[in-house]
Amino acid sequence: MFPFAGLRLLLPAIVPSWRFFDTVAASPRVDYALLADADDEAQWQAFRPRPAVLTVGAMLRRLVWNAQWNEDLFLVSLAERLIHDPDTATRAHSERELVVRVARHLSRQGAGAPLAQIRIRLVARGEDGERLGEQVVYCIDPFAIADGA
Amino acid sequence: MTLDGAIAASTAMMAAAFVQQSAEHLRPAARAAERRLFAMRITLSAVLLAAVPLAPVAVPALLAGLMLLHLAILPFFNGPYNGGADRMSLLLLVCLTLAWWLPAAREPAFGYLAMQLLLSYAIAGWVKLVNPAWRRGRALRDVFALSAYPVGENVRALAGRPRLLLAAGWGVILFELALPLAFLSRPALIAALAVAALFHFANACLFGLNRFFWIWIAAYPSILWLNERVMG
Repeated sequence: MFPFAGLRLLLPAIVPSWRFFDTVAASPRVDYALLADADDEAQWQAFRPRPAVLTVGAMLRRLVWNAQWNEDLFLVSLAERLIHDPDTATRAHSERELVVRVARHLSRQGAGAPLAQIRIRLVARGEDGERLGEQVVYCIDPFAIADGA
Repeated sequence: MTLDGAIAASTAMMAAAFVQQSAEHLRPAARAAERRLFAMRITLSAVLLAAVPLAPVAVPALLAGLMLLHLAILPFFNGPYNGGADRMSLLLLVCLTLAWWLPAAREPAFGYLAMQLLLSYAIAGWVKLVNPAWRRGRALRDVFALSAYPVGENVRALAGRPRLLLAAGWGVILFELALPLAFLSRPALIAALAVAALFHFANACLFGLNRFFWIWIAAYPSILWLNERVMG
């Protein structure tokens, strides 16, 4: 409830930890699949994969306008909260935000029509010896684009 | 640099950084509720940017408005939207609001901001120094290979340059630890802050952390003022 929820979240900013990159872990990847109905087999795709090449000019432009990338980093934060945070309310918020943001993006891209459902999964990556391994660590039940957007 | 001048400079730079951050939330792809919150934030921030030189009497009320607005924005994202950049944004906002509202708190609040700025480098350097993965160059390799940060696959490919990353990792550790020591000499501090700005610029280019660049620079007047205040 306003303003107590905000004050609780403000406190860590007043006494910050600044432990940037004290440990480096693989970031989870957000995948999605479009389905005609909930029983379809999912054809997974990475959500907004990074470009093969980002030019120096694009890097400089992103100094002043980097909206989609910053949202992508927020999606990674949401995915990490979903996987690691023990608080039920935090996980519920993270799942809702992920669903809304992925659905809204796909809806604006015109993806999904006439397909009715989206599934989302979170994939953790890590090194298994010399090989880069992947493991699905979280799945969100199918939902309609319109419900999310 | 006078206390008043440094506080005014930090306030104006923070307001400009808030305008940049808020504009990114106004694109059509964002939801209506998010756009409403950040339309208010960009309006307050733009007026604040103009008020610092033109109508300083209005600045405390504008800062109070931004504080109240953030108490609604934080629950919307259930915490920071952009990690450390948001934490520094909030720290700046809290310290500057105190400095403008309470004359007796001007020096302590602005000095606290300067101390936190020094700590942001010192702690980040220390936690890397005590981590064997950072000392061996493995951690920075993992940042490029496994984290979400590299902005393109061409940047991610730097993970295959272990000697370069070992040198870069040690460069980051030594720079972060050296910056607080540079506080003892004004020319060294100015040089260190220039290097720090370049460091944030590189992070913005390679990892897309553009908000860190603008908001960290906005806190620099506090450390320049504190240096003059303490070292004379």
